[in-house]
Amino acid sequence: MKKLLILSVSLTLLALTTACESFVEVETPQSQLTGSEVFENHNTANAAVLDLFAKVRDNGLITGSALGTSVNLGLYTDELIYYGTTDENVSHIFNNSLLATNPTARQYWNDSYHQIYCANAIIEGCQQSVSLQEPYKTQFTGEAYFIRALLHFYLVNLYNDVPYIATTDYQQNRLASRMPKTLVYEQVVSDLLQAIEMLSTSYLTPDRVRPNKATAKAFLARVYLYQENWLQAETLATEVINTTDYVWETDIDKIFLKESTATIWQFSPKMEGNNADEASVFIFNDGPPPFVGLSPGLATAFQPEDLRKSHWINTITDGTSIWYHAHKYKQNTNTGTSLEYSVVFRLAEQYLIRAEARLKQGNEIGAKSDVNLIRNTAGLPDTPAVTEAAIFNDIMLQRRLEFFTEYSHRFFDLKRTGQLNAVLTPVKPGWNNTDAHWPIPETELLANPNMTQNPGY
Amino acid sequence: MKNFLFSRHRLEIFCLIFSVLPLTIQAQSQPHKITGTVSDNSGVLPGVSIIIKNSQTATISNGNGGYTIEAKPTDTLVFSFIGYKTQYITVNNQTKINVILQDDATQLQEVKVNAGYYSVKEKERTGSIAKVSSKDIEKQPVTNVIAVMQGRMAGVEVTQDSGAPGGAFQIKIRGQNSLRADGNQPLYIIDGVSYSSETIGSLNTSGMMPTMTSPLNSINPSDIESIEILKDADATAIYGSRGANGVVLITTKKGKSDKTVFSVNASTGVASVTKKLDLMNTQEYLAMRAQAFANDGITTYPDYAYDINGTWSQDRYTDWQEELIGGTAEINNLQASVSGGSKNTQYLLSGNTRLETTVYPKAFKYRKSAAHFSMNHTADNNRFKLNFSANYTAQNNNQPATDLTAVSRTLAPNAPALYDANGSLNWENSTWDNPLALLESEFFSKIKDFNANAVLSYNILPNLQLKTSLGYTDLRSNESNTQPSTMYNPAYGLGSEISGISNNITSRTSWIAEPQINGNWNLGKAKVEALLGTTFQSQITNRLFQSGFGFSSNSLIHDIASANLKAIDLSDEAVYNYQAVFARINYNYDSRYILNITGRRDGSSRFGPGKQFANFGAVGAAWVFSEEKLLQGNSILSFGKLRTSYGTTGNDQIGDYQFLDTYVSSGNTYQGTIGLQPIRLFNPEFGWETNKKFEAALEAGFFQDRIFLTSAYYNNRSTNQLVGIPLPGTTGFQTLQGNLDATVQNTGLEFTLASKNIAGNDFSWTTNFNISFNRNKLLSYPGLETSPYANTYVVGQSVNIVKLYHYTGFNPLTNLYEFEDVNNDGQITSLADRQTIANLSPKYFGGLQNNLRYKNLQLDFLFHFVKQQSFGYMPGVPGTAVNQLSEVSHQQLPFTSGANGEVIAAYYRYGLSDAALQDASFVRLKNVSLTYDIPLKTKDLKCQLYFQGQNLLTFTPYNSGDPEFKFSGYLPPLRVFTTGVKLTL
Repeated sequence: MKKLLILSVSLTLLALTTACESFVEVETPQSQLTGSEVFENHNTANAAVLDLFAKVRDNGLITGSALGTSVNLGLYTDELIYYGTTDENVSHIFNNSLLATNPTARQYWNDSYHQIYCANAIIEGCQQSVSLQEPYKTQFTGEAYFIRALLHFYLVNLYNDVPYIATTDYQQNRLASRMPKTLVYEQVVSDLLQAIEMLSTSYLTPDRVRPNKATAKAFLARVYLYQENWLQAETLATEVINTTDYVWETDIDKIFLKESTATIWQFSPKMEGNNADEASVFIFNDGPPPFVGLSPGLATAFQPEDLRKSHWINTITDGTSIWYHAHKYKQNTNTGTSLEYSVVFRLAEQYLIRAEARLKQGNEIGAKSDVNLIRNTAGLPDTPAVTEAAIFNDIMLQRRLEFFTEYSHRFFDLKRTGQLNAVLTPVKPGWNNTDAHWPIPETELLANPNMTQNPGY
Repeated sequence: MKNFLFSRHRLEIFCLIFSVLPLTIQAQSQPHKITGTVSDNSGVLPGVSIIIKNSQTATISNGNGGYTIEAKPTDTLVFSFIGYKTQYITVNNQTKINVILQDDATQLQEVKVNAGYYSVKEKERTGSIAKVSSKDIEKQPVTNVIAVMQGRMAGVEVTQDSGAPGGAFQIKIRGQNSLRADGNQPLYIIDGVSYSSETIGSLNTSGMMPTMTSPLNSINPSDIESIEILKDADATAIYGSRGANGVVLITTKKGKSDKTVFSVNASTGVASVTKKLDLMNTQEYLAMRAQAFANDGITTYPDYAYDINGTWSQDRYTDWQEELIGGTAEINNLQASVSGGSKNTQYLLSGNTRLETTVYPKAFKYRKSAAHFSMNHTADNNRFKLNFSANYTAQNNNQPATDLTAVSRTLAPNAPALYDANGSLNWENSTWDNPLALLESEFFSKIKDFNANAVLSYNILPNLQLKTSLGYTDLRSNESNTQPSTMYNPAYGLGSEISGISNNITSRTSWIAEPQINGNWNLGKAKVEALLGTTFQSQITNRLFQSGFGFSSNSLIHDIASANLKAIDLSDEAVYNYQAVFARINYNYDSRYILNITGRRDGSSRFGPGKQFANFGAVGAAWVFSEEKLLQGNSILSFGKLRTSYGTTGNDQIGDYQFLDTYVSSGNTYQGTIGLQPIRLFNPEFGWETNKKFEAALEAGFFQDRIFLTSAYYNNRSTNQLVGIPLPGTTGFQTLQGNLDATVQNTGLEFTLASKNIAGNDFSWTTNFNISFNRNKLLSYPGLETSPYANTYVVGQSVNIVKLYHYTGFNPLTNLYEFEDVNNDGQITSLADRQTIANLSPKYFGGLQNNLRYKNLQLDFLFHFVKQQSFGYMPGVPGTAVNQLSEVSHQQLPFTSGANGEVIAAYYRYGLSDAALQDASFVRLKNVSLTYDIPLKTKDLKCQLYFQGQNLLTFTPYNSGDPEFKFSGYLPPLRVFTTGVKLTL
């Protein structure tokens, strides 16, 4: 025993002098890859890009889940009513009484910039990669530009002036200042032009879950519309409409099916058999609604014969009261094989973009023909509007009826056309003029000395 | 020997000496056998150590107090035992030496305290070490090792996260050193083996707790012999990089004597919530709601205002706190142990099982079972020694996944009945979320923890010892959180196809080897002790997080294999390697002047290449001035010592692999492929956080140490702060690991007083008091203005401040709260106008413990007090569908139904203003223990009956619930009563 002890002590003391440096140097864990390794291989680089899409699908501004803008901006405007009682955060959104400490305002901000970071990491990773083949580099970088543009577009529409983040360098990003809205738009356009350049013409897979050239164009058409660059908006929308991949769907029951030929970009679900998150968020079987229901104002805005009312809205009653829920997506459980994907860009928007752009350029006939396509598919006759103002109003009404509870269209449309106060003040007791912009999260103000708050918060 | 001069038992000593004297004449030089019995005034004393002075020969007394030893007539036998005066008896020709040891407080100064790698005599220690021993631990009906320290140790601040079984405790030793909230954990060492206190599990499954599961619950308090807390640099520098926040040394129980002793201890008790909020009744509540709608100009109540629009009965009243958290939890505890052995070998085997239910209205259980084994062996030649101990704990916890405390306070008092006429959950036509549905989602936790250690030592020379300490720990945790379809409102029409389970399996194993060599030399009046050692430690943590979704039946929910969809959300392995060399030299001149130098060179795999190693060290000095000639024999001052220390320690609590730039599997699937995500912002440059500690202390004993006072001043400075630097969201992440050029200082005063007020044979009374004042201050922070902390910290203030609005009053014209517009820009903004600073650290805290004994009856009680301020209860805007404190209805307040954004903004500003702060100081009767030894004819059997209580009484001006909380909205600490019986045979 004695010898053993002496031996062990001397051995370890010896080991100490020779091997100590290596003992505390550990290998990279098996479950992790270094940043540079990821972009040297097509499969791992692809996994990084797919993760970005998954993040956008599950969190932040563009998720179809209950956390997304489809719910929260629907509540914030006049689309949805909050029937629950327990969630103070949601009730603040519904009552337009947001504070700078609101968790959703913080989450949208943080999630979006995290996703933007991931996009920038892909752009930089592809740039520095030695062995990744060019076609992959181009594809991944194009997708990252597309997502970066998309997120900044949503941010600028929600918070007004926001920093445009185009690098992963935290030293620079932690002191980022708010960029004026018009410059943010210029950056979005520039990113999209690069994306159009880089993305392939055809879809990588037939399920249209990864953006292609036409997707970036469809989005750019929307951006030009918001910029009131009517000519470009019309040109881009026309290019998308004329793309052979897209065939107008006249059966409104098929528009949200995953095979819809009118879909431009949709999310691949988390698991096979899963369907669009929206269905489980909106559907309820008995009233009163446990979470949210469509506002009666929206339900009564449809003409009785409008197929969208009978097919995309479900009416629930207990005999005395009536409630409505959005029913665009019908599968609220796992169906083994997925039937519906959450659609982010669809052809109807391109027609309505073009209608508005044509109208603003004086082409009333063209505008009416585009809006009539939407109306007719919904079972409505051609628009009776004759004056420019009336046609414009019908386009805005069709946008409201077509895109309800879809990714904040309603809020952004009211905002860009200057109708927010006029429309919301009568129906939302808590509405103030400063509510057009969401508050910059307080955590952001605390952590970044260059950040400023929007008025009213 | 000066103590003898003042001993009350002088006479007995003289008798002893005189009885020994005649025998010296026949002195012989051959060893002979000596037998005898050791006893004290009340009976035989097992476990007394008997050593031949200046030799390695030793024995201990057996269960009957008897001993046998071989000694030469010239030898001196040294009889020593904790709490008794050591006796020195020269053998001469005696063959039978019976000794009566004298109980004496002064002798406590001779007791050795555990300082980790070495032990030191209480009176000769140079460092700051606080101790709680099993006699105090056993008096408390608690299951968590940190809980037993609350109020009993100076400088140790303990708070409870949640009163629910399995809830964690937080401990801060001498204030907050690190700006990182999770970087202030002390180092835990169990029998020489470091024990990781890092939380286990994942937020997906941790369920109702505000924090993730703490492994410290696995330590079984009843197996603990003592807990020593090392505080200053002198005591902690030998732990180097891990000593910055103090070290908690846990020593488990050991077998003491060769007599076989059986012991059984059974107790049963009840627990309930200490304090409920005084909330509105239905009438007050509805009046508030009506007023709110009136204020908003809303005359027709909206469809969804079920509480007031007539949907719900307006005559109903339910005390939801009573209904949801007002139950009585049962606690049952059974412990049994056997110990015994021979002269050279002693063992202890004990087992314990404990069952706790909860205060919720559904059967939930927490079961904890533990086994402890310990064995000591000394070879016949006394040169080789072996200590082995092993602990195994199994916890089985089933709790609701949601703590009902918050909802019990906010639910409208006229909310519907929980059950319908058929006895199933009542959803009242979907007009509410039945809170009992939350209990359908459950949390299951199975944690098995094994740790074993062995210390082998061999004296190559009488004064030179080789020693190796070896340890192994194995922690296995399996937690799951179920979300069955029954937790949802049936209106959704959902079945078991949407039921889900999240599961995480975590295992953490570690080994440690610490070979050491230590020796001691006498140089005339001086003694030198030296220690040199090295540490190798490796820890591997494996995690597997899985989820399953969609079951053919809810009864299959625990079987992930039955899930329609299965996902592995995380699967990883983290390795933490740690390596060090440490040394200590102690110079002791005549037990008067003591110098202690310790040092450590540490390497940790948590840092990147080139940053792994760092050096730490400390110097401690003590002057026992009562040993000076001038004071020797002083009739008042029996002991006096001045000690001081200065040194550095470090902190590597930063998590593994943080210096790597890596991508991991995110668990998110897109197109059927699992994504890869970047996990952090990359910073390879961070290094050790350094903590410099200074301490000066005075220890003084008066009247033979019947009154013992210690006072300590300390000044700790933490520099090169290793923090997750909060970053704005624009960087893509919220934090970055790195070193901040900031200095945090903790200065403080600690006082302890131990007094033997009365020490009679029949009646005795002792009092222990401790109080700690800690002042935390951010000393410097270059570039604070442009840093992410610009609006969080202020140089010169505590790091535990909040910046608040200054409330100027209620304006009846606008019906709004008003606040000071500090920058006079005409509006109230959070950045510019939150300039009032409030410090949320406790000003002082402490405990007062009394122990009274009358014959066989012993009463012990502890008051714990804290001086602090805290935010009042702010459940949500008054007037919305949230119940409020009943006092709200008597105040003129700006109620709104939710439509008035200005009122809502004002309310939240009020919640962040100085007006929301309340005095949350309290004095709490933390613990009461009453023990009665039944007088029995036989001495072989001991029977003890006891009553114990925890959190019995609270005195506080705080009106917002229990003042002792860390996380609002979680179950506060419970009031516990237990009774039990302990049999020893």
